[in-house]
Amino acid sequence: MGWDLVVILVVPGVVGVACWWLPPRVGRPLSIASGLLTFVLALLLVPARTPSALHGWLRADSLSVVFVVAVGFLYLATMVFAVGYLHPSGGPTHQARYLRRAFAGLNVFCWAMAVAPLVSSLALLWVAIEITTVVSALLVAIDDTDGATEAAWKYVLIASMGLGISLLATIVVYYAGAVTIGHDYDLFYPTLLAAASRFPPQVVRLAFVLAVLGFGTKVGLVPVHTWLPDAHSEAPTPVSALLSGALLAVSFYAVLRYFQVAVRTLGPTFPRDVLLAFGLASLGLAALYLASQRDLKRLLAYSSIEHMGILAIGMSFAAPIAVVGVLLQVLAHAAAKGTAFFGAGSVVRKYGTKDMRHIRGGIGALPWSGPMLVLAVLALSGMPPFGIFRSEFLIVEGGLSDPHDAVVAVLVVLVVLAFLGLSWFSTKTMQTPTPKSVVRGETSKWIVGSMVIGVVALTVLGVHPPGQLSDLLTRAAAELRAPR
Amino acid sequence: MLLAHSVILSSAATVPSTFAGVADALTVLVLLSEFAMLHAQLSRSQIRLYAFQSLVVTALAVYVAAERHIPGLYAIAGITLVLKVVVIPAIVLTLLRDARVELVASHRLGVATMVLIAIAVSVFGIFTAGSITVQSRSLPSGALGLAIAAVLVSFLLIVLRSDVVSQAVGFFSLENAVSLTSLVVAAGLPLIVEVAFFFDLLVAVVVFGVLMRVHHSHHDTLSTRQLDRLRG
Amino acid sequence: MAQGVVGQGVMLTPVEIQVLQDLTIVVLAPLVSGAIAHVEARWQGRRGPRILQPYYDLAKWFRKETLVPEDASWVFVVGPMVAFMCYLIVPLLIPVLTTYPLPLGYMGDILAGGFVLALGGFAVAAAAAETDAPYAQLGSSRAMTFGALIEPTILFITFVVALVTSTDLPYFEAAAARASVAQIVRPAHILAVVAFFLVVLNDTGRIPVETHAGTLELGMIDEARTLEHSGPLLALLTWGSAMKQLILYVLLVNVFAAPWGLASTRSAGAVGLAILALLGKALGVGVLFTVIDNSFSKLRLFKITEFMAAAFLLAVLAVLVLFVGGS
Repeated sequence: MGWDLVVILVVPGVVGVACWWLPPRVGRPLSIASGLLTFVLALLLVPARTPSALHGWLRADSLSVVFVVAVGFLYLATMVFAVGYLHPSGGPTHQARYLRRAFAGLNVFCWAMAVAPLVSSLALLWVAIEITTVVSALLVAIDDTDGATEAAWKYVLIASMGLGISLLATIVVYYAGAVTIGHDYDLFYPTLLAAASRFPPQVVRLAFVLAVLGFGTKVGLVPVHTWLPDAHSEAPTPVSALLSGALLAVSFYAVLRYFQVAVRTLGPTFPRDVLLAFGLASLGLAALYLASQRDLKRLLAYSSIEHMGILAIGMSFAAPIAVVGVLLQVLAHAAAKGTAFFGAGSVVRKYGTKDMRHIRGGIGALPWSGPMLVLAVLALSGMPPFGIFRSEFLIVEGGLSDPHDAVVAVLVVLVVLAFLGLSWFSTKTMQTPTPKSVVRGETSKWIVGSMVIGVVALTVLGVHPPGQLSDLLTRAAAELRAPR
Repeated sequence: MLLAHSVILSSAATVPSTFAGVADALTVLVLLSEFAMLHAQLSRSQIRLYAFQSLVVTALAVYVAAERHIPGLYAIAGITLVLKVVVIPAIVLTLLRDARVELVASHRLGVATMVLIAIAVSVFGIFTAGSITVQSRSLPSGALGLAIAAVLVSFLLIVLRSDVVSQAVGFFSLENAVSLTSLVVAAGLPLIVEVAFFFDLLVAVVVFGVLMRVHHSHHDTLSTRQLDRLRG
Repeated sequence: MAQGVVGQGVMLTPVEIQVLQDLTIVVLAPLVSGAIAHVEARWQGRRGPRILQPYYDLAKWFRKETLVPEDASWVFVVGPMVAFMCYLIVPLLIPVLTTYPLPLGYMGDILAGGFVLALGGFAVAAAAAETDAPYAQLGSSRAMTFGALIEPTILFITFVVALVTSTDLPYFEAAAARASVAQIVRPAHILAVVAFFLVVLNDTGRIPVETHAGTLELGMIDEARTLEHSGPLLALLTWGSAMKQLILYVLLVNVFAAPWGLASTRSAGAVGLAILALLGKALGVGVLFTVIDNSFSKLRLFKITEFMAAAFLLAVLAVLVLFVGGS
């Protein structure tokens, strides 16, 4: 019996609602506890078993678990960070009312993201992802500045259009199933996947393209990514971290579910080609934009687009090892991007600006979070010994054994380009002498703590992933493969 | 005369059933109201057009439910009626009244140009949908093309108009067009799923409402033209 | 005549009906115009002109002399006559009184009818352009411009007819519409009817395109074209435009909207009834136009393209709907 799934379904949501009423001093520890509980439960799901609950409406196969772990981890880390960042010392706007709302929103946001991989129906998956949009749009707007309002409006509009398309995809898949199975089924994955090989191919092809385009808006795939840099840069930093590390991944999870159906109906070629096209476009555009960013958080946002592009490209390689790499990258990216945004939040708090031309000597000014931010950025650009190095290595290896040499060459060149953009940032802003005017010292212990969690996770993933986690990734990769 | 009669007889044979005719007429009405929203000058009339469009969708659902004996559709029609014809327009109209703005110059292009673009887009949608064969148990399959066309025109409404009400109404009517599509291809989606969709729509409307309000309080207008600060 | 009474009454030859058909248009056109003007005046609370006033006007103008501007060439004189001839030809091609095609009914299809009507319009415009008067020239250029803009709509309506009946003869469209209710409620038909309705609004110079009874030259389109003509030429122009209006009404009701009440036999009684029915339907349409006239305001000249776009949209949709579902 999957009581743990029910707990994840209930607790964060209840905590979120409670935070709306409770004073922040109660809400903070409650949020951290909820994050911890979710993360622990997610880790308990790692060993091989497929629990389900509520008459099969909740179900966690290996693919789901990978994403629940990513969300759970970032939930915990972000809450630790938020305790330090969303603090009355943070500015005149950070009053009790604001803090109550922010914590309520963050918890509900995490709840929706944790539930999305656990629901076992394509339709409910859509609903969960729509809820993430709704909550995160409000969270983006919560600072109530002109920029935040604009970003939130663009975000909700573009994401809603995307979700409209993906709703269409859901309905089209339902139709494909209804032709084969009959009308009385609830779009459960096991039912769908068992019958998928008999679906009408034309219809599934349409559904897959619609799904990639629709959920792709939320993944941040070029050309439907335009909301992403704005929302990431204008949102409060904890929200940016969740958007980038968890929300994009969960949306990518939705694409993977359609991918599962599509490979069974159409064979692997068509779905892979679609993902390859979107992935190359994303990676290419992001690599170019990374080189010309002045806004610290926009820089990280484009890095997210870059990584989502890599994920899509990785999925287009036939070798199973590439798919393992993709799933590892999901976890590593959550850790790295979370840490990087936490560091960015620390820097922004310290310098009072996101403009990198005015940020100098970060390492000197922030003795702990400064170096850890540099580490996170290095990890993001694929340096060993961190998790993303390992995952990108696996993807490249898979591509070479496929063989997709041309694509791999492009991939490597673009990743190097992105690396240059990111390292320019780190040398220019962090590794320079600290101006006299800047007071040395951390702004909050909690921020440092959240970054320590992130760096530790990155290192573990890079140096020696636990055996059970590797098993999980292998099993999940097997679920994504087309059956013979 | 003989020729005339034979021609008349053969054409009479291709006349579709009354059911198909009425269903198609309602579908066309949904598409036409989408065009009317694209054209409408007053934000208020846009919202009323949306309510009208929802009413047509409701009528279509009831008609299909009665003709094809799908009882679940009655429930969906009922929820549609309450939510999309009454509640959502009421929410948006209230917000609009608070904003005290009637007319927003928001056409990015001339009306005739917009209509021509929308016609082109509709043709594209109809022929794309026509390339897939769909066996619908609820509606004539031609309705799929019209529904897809309505989806595409609602995108145009979001893209070609630059005020918050048009864009929000564009999203709501996108949802209408999608539920029209679902009437064609998947009448009889599990009820719990449909209810989830509706619930979700309601939440989305609240969010659009909140953001519209925030937007108005910041910029003192409903136009979105000055939303160009963030780029690159 | 009395000898011809056999059972069903007097039987007319097709040629006689054909002549009668033309005469109906020629004779009834001023009556319809007068009746509409009368109803419109009543609607606005005025007593209005007599219903037969157009006949008196025509009679008066035919008695007057013709004034031709100095610079005008022969076109100025011939134009109105050509137009009048065109409007005499069109009724031969369309179902005015009978459900069955008359001998000359096969002479031309909808396109031919449209061309002949357009030729009439061109003749009027050419005659108006002959003068030096700015308003007449303005009117003729505007009429041609908007005529060109409405042309695609007419073309698409023709497509609808062609797709529905596999021919482009107006008789068959009417017969198909009469054949079943399903034909009337099919969306393509409804859309085509509404589109054609808008075309008629435009071609008869009604609001929202033009104020047909206005005196403000700047807003005029069709009306401005006759400003320089006088005497018998003006009579021909006015009569012609009344005939054109009635022809368009006939097309609207007898081909698309309500193809009932036409004579299906050649008996004189049936044909007589058909004439009365036609008069009734034409008056009904006229009253409808009057209501629209009094309920809407005229569009600004540059907004007329929106009107055209709407008509075009409906016509295109009609064709598309036929394409996607055969409905």
